[in-house]
Amino acid sequence: MTDLAVRSPVALLRRVTQPARSMGRRVEGRSVYLILTLTAAGLVLLGWFLPWFVGPFTAGTGFSPQDVVSSAPTGFATVLVYVMGASALIVVLSPLAELVARLRKMTLGVRVDQVRAIAGAAGLVAAVLVYVLVGVIREEPAFGVLSSTTITNSAVWLTMYGFGVALFAYGAKGLVLTRPNLAFAIAALPFGALLPLMFHQAPDFLLWAASSLAIYTLLALGLNVVVGFAGLLDLGYAAFFAIGAYACASLSSPIHGIHLPLWVLIFLGAAIAAIFGALLGAPTLRLRGDYLAIVTLGFGEIIPDLATNNVFNLTGGPNGLPGIDQPKIGPVDFGTSPQWYYWSIVAVTLISVLLLRNLQRARVGRAWVALREDEVAAAATGINTTTTKLLAFAIGASVSGLAGAFYGSMLTAISPDAFQFQVSIAVLSIIVLGGIGNITGVILGSFVLTFVIFWALPHAHEWSATFAHNFNVSAVGNINFPQYTYIIYGAALILMMLLRPGGLLPSRARRIELQTGVESESLAAVQGRA
Amino acid sequence: MNNETEPAAEPAPRAVGAQVATPYRLVSEEGLAPRAPTGGGAAARRVLPAFRAAYGFTSQYFPAILLVAIALTILGVYHSGGLTLMGQQVRNALVLGAIYALIAIGYTMVYGIIELINFAHGDVFALSGFYAIVIAEALGLDKLATSGLGGLLVALIVLFTLSMIAAGLTGMLIERVAYRRLRDAPRVAPLITAIGVSFLIEGFLLVFFGPDNVATNKANWITGNAFSAGGVAVGFKDIFVVGIALVLMFALGAFVRGTKLGKAMRSTAQDRAAALLCGININRTIALTFFIGSALAAAGAIVYSINYGDVQWNLGFRLGIIAFTAAVLGGIGNIVGAGIGGFLIGIIYVFGGSLAGGEWAESLIFAVLVLILTFRPVGLFGIDVGTRA
Repeated sequence: MTDLAVRSPVALLRRVTQPARSMGRRVEGRSVYLILTLTAAGLVLLGWFLPWFVGPFTAGTGFSPQDVVSSAPTGFATVLVYVMGASALIVVLSPLAELVARLRKMTLGVRVDQVRAIAGAAGLVAAVLVYVLVGVIREEPAFGVLSSTTITNSAVWLTMYGFGVALFAYGAKGLVLTRPNLAFAIAALPFGALLPLMFHQAPDFLLWAASSLAIYTLLALGLNVVVGFAGLLDLGYAAFFAIGAYACASLSSPIHGIHLPLWVLIFLGAAIAAIFGALLGAPTLRLRGDYLAIVTLGFGEIIPDLATNNVFNLTGGPNGLPGIDQPKIGPVDFGTSPQWYYWSIVAVTLISVLLLRNLQRARVGRAWVALREDEVAAAATGINTTTTKLLAFAIGASVSGLAGAFYGSMLTAISPDAFQFQVSIAVLSIIVLGGIGNITGVILGSFVLTFVIFWALPHAHEWSATFAHNFNVSAVGNINFPQYTYIIYGAALILMMLLRPGGLLPSRARRIELQTGVESESLAAVQGRA
Repeated sequence: MNNETEPAAEPAPRAVGAQVATPYRLVSEEGLAPRAPTGGGAAARRVLPAFRAAYGFTSQYFPAILLVAIALTILGVYHSGGLTLMGQQVRNALVLGAIYALIAIGYTMVYGIIELINFAHGDVFALSGFYAIVIAEALGLDKLATSGLGGLLVALIVLFTLSMIAAGLTGMLIERVAYRRLRDAPRVAPLITAIGVSFLIEGFLLVFFGPDNVATNKANWITGNAFSAGGVAVGFKDIFVVGIALVLMFALGAFVRGTKLGKAMRSTAQDRAAALLCGININRTIALTFFIGSALAAAGAIVYSINYGDVQWNLGFRLGIIAFTAAVLGGIGNIVGAGIGGFLIGIIYVFGGSLAGGEWAESLIFAVLVLILTFRPVGLFGIDVGTRA
């Protein structure tokens, strides 16, 4: 990267925007490119049609960006509508065009990318103008609390973000193809950070983001250390989550009269979970692969059972522990505004990601890789397999302790039901879906799976009811969607393992393992940049 | 464990490397001893050998320790409830154990032949229970079975045949779709698809049959008491359950030992590549193994639904883990061991639950699972499977 930095800005720009072929580097980011383009198309579509789906069920009238602008009395707005419509068409259709081109074994020229990038930029500008116009028409501030316009707001934000992603994916195609993880981080970070702002009038969505997306991302990052880095299949990960949550709940609720602040508790929870991780990991040290999985599964079943049976009168039995404290910082009350939980967890997640990345590249991380590939050979090269394994368990568990501390405080009450086997499988599915061992992939997988399971399925009923109402198909209207959760987990696990064992975004090592025949060259790539 | 080379009573000289006069040894003990932990200090040096000795002792005498614990539990139940309670619990344990044994055999056969923990096996069991319901309803077997002894026999034969075939075909389908392609992949990969299949089956059962208990309408198929001894009433149902399990197990044993296909299964389990070289159709043999294992699970499911009267969509999950514990207890890959393990687990479940309270019974089994795998992964009478565990 140093050579890149000292060159002129023009050269830098060219390097970022040109397709990778001219750079003489192996193209690795096709899947990220695909994901970004599909995401852009999906977001634009969703923004356009969101009011149509959700509209009839909310008090506020449903608007799409188009409706908003066409109701504005100026000719300028009509132009905006056409610009947005044309851009949206290009953004939505271009993944299809690319698919057709790939099927016919053609390559799209650089010019096409430029056109698409321009379309994305035009759409983005138009969407921003629409956003401002919404404020102007309603004589309300562009940023801040609007009343009864949830749908409009969210729809415009989604459209805006979709165009932004399209601009980035097509405009900086070179960067996306050569540095997929960085590109993904650039595209996802603003979305992750601004999520509560975009949907600040949809409390449902905020709650989902804080209690499902953020928590499961943390959990998946922790399990990824055990499963992805060290290659130890842990089927009882929810146990550590439970231990962290129960420990923190006991220390910040009226049960024992102890009220520690959350910011102390997250460290305490992490430490306690780490200790238990090492303790429960100890019996599994001599086991390999599937036996280890079963032992951890046994622990994962015992811990919620202990909680249900109210062991030592500490856990409150099946009802769990109620009345957990919620922090208050000055005017910000976490209990009433879950976005602060969300931001806190995002901050913790970011720090964890940085630490885990460093750990992955450090001596311990390389020891984990060696252990994963061949335990005997690793031991022969002087790696202390005992401490290395225990460290993986402890570090993996500590991350779930963080999640547990937040989880209890956010829901103000915890019960054994929240830590059943299903949770372990959800986290495992996230990792398998996203890409075992790849932090970026895990975050993507967490977003996809929690969105489908915890947001789309519970809300699918409303959409299908709209659909049934609009098209007069009554059969679609009364499907109980959440009961398909298990089928989705199962299908995700089977299909991913069979068709794409590396996950949506395979880690570099995994990708190299899967591509045989290019080992020496790829190994150099790993050593150079891993 | 290498404490045979040296009496466990004096580990200290070895650790500090004191010169013991051993003129007949060419290599000094010091050089062979594991490197002393650098950071741990004296505490680690003193604690670790003791820990290791305790571990070695436990793993060596694990079967004896477990059997003594079981005997003490039975005595405890006798002490608290007298002979009648003990007798009733023995009956319950045998019935439960027979069902566990039938499921455990499926686990152990599949593990023996492709070294895969077929996580979906428990759910195949639950699915078979629902197959039995659907088949009995479609053919009107429930009415036939309660009409008389002849009708009952016909209904049982039809139900067992059809359900076992259906379950066996399901097992073959699962193997074909989810496991065959991953046979040479890292061992964790097929385990993950197995979990996926398990969730898929549970999901379908949930969607089709709902979240509540489903009555099997078979609880009244077999009624009446056969005999009663010392206040313990033993029903025809109990004899039927245990009898079916024993008959099927011995039939399976005879099949594996006596037939050509059984021979093919044994050789495939021993060395797949060599079996292939001998002209054995590996894929067909493995599919057959899945067929038999799933069919036995179906038999277990029918017996279960006659005995307990209802089934649930997620019945297979915990029952599956318990049956797997039975398979591990008997030494995984060992069919006779799985049968005995099933009955032992039945005893532990019933008597442990009776002594500690029913809500602890499952935790107890999971604890036994963890203990076996920690101290003696080869099982009670396990053949040495080396690096398998």
